[in-house]
Amino acid sequence: MSVPATPIDLPRAKFRLRPMRAAEIALLLLLAVLMGLPLLFLLTGSFNLAAPGKPAVYGLDNWLRAFNDPATLGALWMSFLLSLARLAPAIVIGVLFAWLIARTDMPGGNAIEFFCWVAYFIPDFPLTLAWILLLDPNYGFLNALARHLPLVDAPLFNPYSFWGIVWVHTSAGGIWFKVILLTPVFRRLGAALEEAARVAGASTATMLRRVTIPLLAPMILAVSVLSFIRGLQSFNTELLLGTPAGIYVYSTRIYDYIHREPASYGEATALGAVFILALGALLFFYWRYLRGRRQFTVVTGQGYSTLRVKLGKWRWAALAGCLLYIAVMTVLPLIFLVIGSFMRRYGFFNIPAPFTLAHWRDLLSDPIFFSSLKNSVIIASITAAGGVLLYSTVAYLLVSRRAIAAPFLEGLCWLPHILPGILLGLGILWLFLATPLRFVFYGTVWGIALALIVGDSPVTTQAFRAGFLQLGADLEEAARVTGASWWYAYRRILLPLLAPIAGAVGLMNFGSALGSISTPVLLYSHQSRPLAILLLEYSVTGELERGAALGLLITALICALMLIGRRLGLQLSGLR
Amino acid sequence: MINDVGAMMVWLILSIAVFAWSAPAAAQTRAGEKEWNAVVEAAKKEGKVVVAGSPDPVMRNEVIPRFKERYGIPVEFIAGRSSEIAARVRAERGSGIYSVDVYLAGPDTTAVTLYGEKLIDALKPLLVMPEVADGSKWKQGKIWFADPEERFAVRAFSSVATLMFINTDQVRPDEMRAAKDLLNSKWRGKISTEDPTTTGSGSNAAARFYHDFGEEFVRKLYIEQKAVRTRDRRQMSDWLARGIQPICLSCREDDVRPLIRDGFKILEIFSLSDMPASINGSPWMLTVANKAPNPKAAQLFANWILSREGLGIYARGYGSVSLRTDIDESSLNPGNLPKKSVKYFDDTDWSWIVTGRQENREKVWQVLKGK
Repeated sequence: MSVPATPIDLPRAKFRLRPMRAAEIALLLLLAVLMGLPLLFLLTGSFNLAAPGKPAVYGLDNWLRAFNDPATLGALWMSFLLSLARLAPAIVIGVLFAWLIARTDMPGGNAIEFFCWVAYFIPDFPLTLAWILLLDPNYGFLNALARHLPLVDAPLFNPYSFWGIVWVHTSAGGIWFKVILLTPVFRRLGAALEEAARVAGASTATMLRRVTIPLLAPMILAVSVLSFIRGLQSFNTELLLGTPAGIYVYSTRIYDYIHREPASYGEATALGAVFILALGALLFFYWRYLRGRRQFTVVTGQGYSTLRVKLGKWRWAALAGCLLYIAVMTVLPLIFLVIGSFMRRYGFFNIPAPFTLAHWRDLLSDPIFFSSLKNSVIIASITAAGGVLLYSTVAYLLVSRRAIAAPFLEGLCWLPHILPGILLGLGILWLFLATPLRFVFYGTVWGIALALIVGDSPVTTQAFRAGFLQLGADLEEAARVTGASWWYAYRRILLPLLAPIAGAVGLMNFGSALGSISTPVLLYSHQSRPLAILLLEYSVTGELERGAALGLLITALICALMLIGRRLGLQLSGLR
Repeated sequence: MINDVGAMMVWLILSIAVFAWSAPAAAQTRAGEKEWNAVVEAAKKEGKVVVAGSPDPVMRNEVIPRFKERYGIPVEFIAGRSSEIAARVRAERGSGIYSVDVYLAGPDTTAVTLYGEKLIDALKPLLVMPEVADGSKWKQGKIWFADPEERFAVRAFSSVATLMFINTDQVRPDEMRAAKDLLNSKWRGKISTEDPTTTGSGSNAAARFYHDFGEEFVRKLYIEQKAVRTRDRRQMSDWLARGIQPICLSCREDDVRPLIRDGFKILEIFSLSDMPASINGSPWMLTVANKAPNPKAAQLFANWILSREGLGIYARGYGSVSLRTDIDESSLNPGNLPKKSVKYFDDTDWSWIVTGRQENREKVWQVLKGK
């Protein structure tokens, strides 16, 4: 790394702080507008009792109506239980996977990581249907196999149950989301402390429990908080598997209010406000834990080693365990999903000529497919790049001892996480239309990308924040002492070190932008129509097979980009 | 000679009579064509038409290309669920933006939101295309405006709706002749329905049951009979075909009919002895936006979609029975064709949508919550 050697100039060094403060204020204002205003509009709207188009009349009726419904509390409790039941195994498995991939000499770690990415982007709706084909008590493939076992005379599995929902979530994005976010920070973990633990006689398990995991606590906690809130908001799987069993969750209640005729956005926002409380409580503990945050620093300028933990004979056992888990939880339903996209009717093998290429042919010959694909790729690229640039800067300020408004910045970054996508889209729509932003953003790919960037803020910011917490202040200080500007040090030292995290969250945001339906649906125009609107159509009109084909196509596209991006990220970070 | 003169006189009188009868009609037709041509020319100058409605493969794959081919005017289709479209339009209008020209929306959205919130203009004076304005082309002798003022919302379809589907491998047709047969304990846990606790076809059916048979019937059917609820339409038709829930109250015809073609023994039930058959206006009602950005293009599209060509595309695409007299119905399911001798319950009747269904739905929700 070459740094121009200029003499230290104290007055200039003092002056250099000013742009930082200006940047902090500018970011604070930007986030207040982008994150705070939509929520403010929604909250204000939730107290408006007047019919649409009539002068506003304010009162508490929407809130009272939403919470007086006895079903609401039951649904909230069910969401809490489900979210908790999902989180516990997922965080253990997620940490284990990330550790094995990034910190050990387990063979095939990169391939396992690739599978985790593939698994993350498999669309959840058709994946849930694949699990139904496998586990249904009447015709499920695994239940049919199990009947051949001795002493089994009743179905072993039932997806239409509490544990069925937890199981399917354990297979879907939940675990892979954690692995994707945790792997880069595990990879960045210096080996010195682990080696010290080894020298002191600690076993691998003790080292993992007493050294590795505590060092990575910021990211693990952030991922846990994000996952818990995501769990509370989870919807599709519960809708398919919960409704037949009479299991209703909180997000279903919100969905019902939004899709009423006429829609009751006031009640939906009132119910959404519960997420603010849940988030507030979780963040309180999170911030308390992170106080004195420099204890998590693992990358400093005083020697840094990324040597991996040697598992010995267990390395093959670890690989076998990972492969078995991936085979059962991902490959098995994925096979059914791929087959489903080639079936005339998903899951019906006993009809005449059950297989067809028609869904793929129809998808690819759809008159708007390629223009939608082009729009989607543009939107996703802007979202990924914009999110990385914006939130890496925000995260830098959050961990910087110089930022005076860090708590406000962080609070604003968490806000979009409490809103379901459609409410966030509505808030952004109101923001665009109420301000001159509409001339640039309304109905354009830029507007959709901006809304998606807003929605990505919690995950992206927390990922970068955890990454920055791992970096020692001495790296940047050394650069500054030798005369590098803040921007130079940030660009040439910090960002390359964070390249794996940037690559991971950038790709994750790219993929989410391709598949997101609820946020763009209120913001797109004919010219900026993304692929997600096709997904919406397939979902509304019950064209499951074409939806599966499109979902697989999006997954394949992301995988291709992931391979390129990951290689680039690893090269930038100097790991390859 | 006298005979020749007489014949000539008769011919002359007949000619005058025919001319006197046909001249105004011809003049009217010419005037109508002139007016229509003026609309077409003005629409071409506007350059595009923006249509909003539910996600609709027939619109995307057939209507848009055909309209463009016919008039050279592109159709920009904004697709979304009704509530999403309504939220978007309200927000746009609140900021003085008027982006939509034509709505093809379901009856609830049309009645409650578009008409109820005065987002639309009178359509009646805009329908000038000769084959649309001609009352003889419509089964009712005129275009059916469904709204109370009979000017705003055109209903273009009226099909007999399926009351339920049964899998005859498990339910004999003679076991399901009346709605009360649903309460037979033999069918406990064997009936599927779209979730009646939220708006949609499940709660619409439940509202109808409440309207026709009262609270006790609804309690028995949905609670004691343990009707299995789902929010996914494909799930219901899959269960029906596999015989897991061999009675389906909310299955969609377009989901089930391919299964019937594939040999599954599924029967559509259109009427029951104690429950009149119903008709509905699916898939959409037609309205034009007020302050439309492209008013002439909106007028052109509204007329064309009601023409033989426009409605014919939808009749074929959705198997819906149009209200035009000149559309071939031989390919439609005979069960969907209304019979003149039958008095149907109209599920798209304006007052039923605005008040009756809403009230009965609320009562159903109270029953189901109080279980």
